[in-house]
Amino acid sequence: MLQKKVCMVGSFATGKTSLIARFVHSIFSEKYQTTVGVKIDKKTVNYNDKELNLILWDLYGEDEFQKVRMSYLRGSSAYLLVVDGTRRSTLEKAFNLQVKVEETIGKVPFVLVMNKSDLSDEWEIDIDEINDLTQRGWNIVKTSAKTGRGVEEVFQTITKKMLEE
Amino acid sequence: MNEHLTNGSSQLPNSHENYQKSVSELEELRSLLLGIETSKLNHIYERIDEIEVKPEDISKALPQAVILRTMQDKQLSEAFVPTIEQAIESSIRKDFNVLSNTIFPIIAPATRRAISSALGEMIQSLNQTLEHSLSPQSFKWRLEARQTGKSFAEIVLLRTLIYRVEQVFLIHKETGLLLQHIVAPQVAMQDPDLVSAMLTAIQDFVKDSFHVQKDEMLRTLQFGELTIWIEEGPFAVLAGIIRGNAPQELRLSFKNSVEKIHLRLDRQLNSFTGETEVFSEAVPYLEDCLEARYQIPAQKNYSYAYALAGLITLVVGAWGFFTIRDQYRWDAVVENLSAQPGIAITKAEHRNGRYIINGMRDPLAVDPNKILRKYHINGKFVNSKWIPFVSLEPEFVVKRAQQLLKPPKSVSLSFDNETGTLTATGSAPKKWILETQRTWRFIPGVIQYQENNLVDLSLEKLNTYRKQLEERVLLFENGSTDLLPSETSELPKLATEVKKLLEVADSFGKDVKIQIIGHTSITGGEEQNKQLSQQRASKVQDFLVSQGINKANLKIIGVGSTESKNKQDMTRARRISLKIFIENLK
Repeated sequence: MLQKKVCMVGSFATGKTSLIARFVHSIFSEKYQTTVGVKIDKKTVNYNDKELNLILWDLYGEDEFQKVRMSYLRGSSAYLLVVDGTRRSTLEKAFNLQVKVEETIGKVPFVLVMNKSDLSDEWEIDIDEINDLTQRGWNIVKTSAKTGRGVEEVFQTITKKMLEE
Repeated sequence: MNEHLTNGSSQLPNSHENYQKSVSELEELRSLLLGIETSKLNHIYERIDEIEVKPEDISKALPQAVILRTMQDKQLSEAFVPTIEQAIESSIRKDFNVLSNTIFPIIAPATRRAISSALGEMIQSLNQTLEHSLSPQSFKWRLEARQTGKSFAEIVLLRTLIYRVEQVFLIHKETGLLLQHIVAPQVAMQDPDLVSAMLTAIQDFVKDSFHVQKDEMLRTLQFGELTIWIEEGPFAVLAGIIRGNAPQELRLSFKNSVEKIHLRLDRQLNSFTGETEVFSEAVPYLEDCLEARYQIPAQKNYSYAYALAGLITLVVGAWGFFTIRDQYRWDAVVENLSAQPGIAITKAEHRNGRYIINGMRDPLAVDPNKILRKYHINGKFVNSKWIPFVSLEPEFVVKRAQQLLKPPKSVSLSFDNETGTLTATGSAPKKWILETQRTWRFIPGVIQYQENNLVDLSLEKLNTYRKQLEERVLLFENGSTDLLPSETSELPKLATEVKKLLEVADSFGKDVKIQIIGHTSITGGEEQNKQLSQQRASKVQDFLVSQGINKANLKIIGVGSTESKNKQDMTRARRISLKIFIENLK
């Protein structure tokens, strides 16, 4: 069985945990995030007829009180950078986090997950900005924790990138 | 030098000799200066020229080298493992019979030992279960088993446990990914992939939070009776989940396993990219860590306790037996007395070893003490109080009627308690009939008296019966005690008539004697006839006795042919006749 460690990082309240809750196997409660700073889940992905276990390290969202514990990133094969599409500031934070992560574990595949896509009225991120990022080679997937839209695509995309690189 | 020698030999023989001499002198000088023989020096030159190590040389040094290194540490043995494994693989591929024949003498005893060990464990588990199945502790454990939903055997094992390594994780140090995991039988577990990652996260959390040295790590986690021991290697850590108090020697076992795994899978660990299949080779090393130890119960001497318990059981058992038996007997007495006519029980108790029974009793009813004796209940322990009353049950009314009226045997009395009617049937003298018509009203419970079926008897009638019987004869075969076939049916009739006579006589209080007289015809000798006549009378007597007639009322006599002289008909002469004597009646 092939296994990969994948971290999820992002600002506080971007909806990381809710986003994957319905799609993963979990034995730990959310209080682990506020205590240890990480909650661990498992997602089995089938890619090209091969099963792959993604061990998801859902890191506590960074806010003014607590920083992301960078030591948790060690050994990650990839990471998900989660932003809240209805809060422009979370994208700025994601840019900073991306740099920090890269400094810590080097260049590994990542996917920028733009969550809360169901709240189109409150959307704060320009399409031009998204296009710019895409042109820079970033993989961006719009998701909704409410409808489940895009979540499987996120796992498929990150798996593909990990196995192809 | 060689060139000089060649040139010299072709020109001058003397100079050759000189040369030989100078060479030997030179060698002598060399030997004196260096102290080495030429042959040895040549050998050293040869060794220097040939840089390659000779197999012969290695073969000389190898055994000793192997012994020396083995004594120092285990690295050489571990290093040999892959080579030996490959050699075995090749050997099996080539011809598996060679290896199987070689190891057969080892396999058989090893198999036996393994089976014996497995059986031993099973018996130990069974022993523990049985040993604790009846102790007071066991009730507590049974309760715990019920509450936790585990089996009783599982709880017994858990509570007699000194320690047990329940799970062993082999975790990749950098990624926290699970490389291999084993679990002891009957241990509940969570997803090991997630547990492995979380253990790594906790390690990182502690390191981050408390600023420890870089190469230090969390080695023990303790939670109640559960301990997690972590042993670190360069690329992987081994985490053992232990229930109970494990000895420190177990850490050595963990350490050994980590070292062996690194020695064997060093390359795979170093280049790990997420494929865990290859780490199945680590399983035997992890299994070495799955240890367990249980309490060996001390052999205690419970002889006195068992003897006392046995005695108490015996006493309680005996007391219980006698109590239950007495209760059964008492219940049977009460039931029996209740069913008796003329007895009505109002209170029946068995208290403090004494029996109390109160009620009402007709004086004519059965004696209660008789029933008590029948069921082996000692009257000394019975307090009884009986209030007399008159029972109107038919049998008691009849009894009272018999006591008061004193009917002759030819009369039978019955009572219908619904209509209160006393009925007399049979035959009785006129005097008794008249007396009864006057006195029946004094019998308690009797409202009416009915005598329609009662025949009035008089002495004349008795006389008539007598005359009828005296006229009867029964005829016999010639020279025999057998009745004529036509007379056989007359014999029972005779018996009935005799009974009737006796009954009627009895109703008058008269004593009756019946003389059965045997006769023969005049043929034959008189002595012989007398004897035959007596036999005929005896035969009839026997029949009458067999029909319930008192022998005291009968008398036989054989008169031979003395009363047959005037009987011309020989057939009618072979007979018996009756002579009846009734007291004071002619």
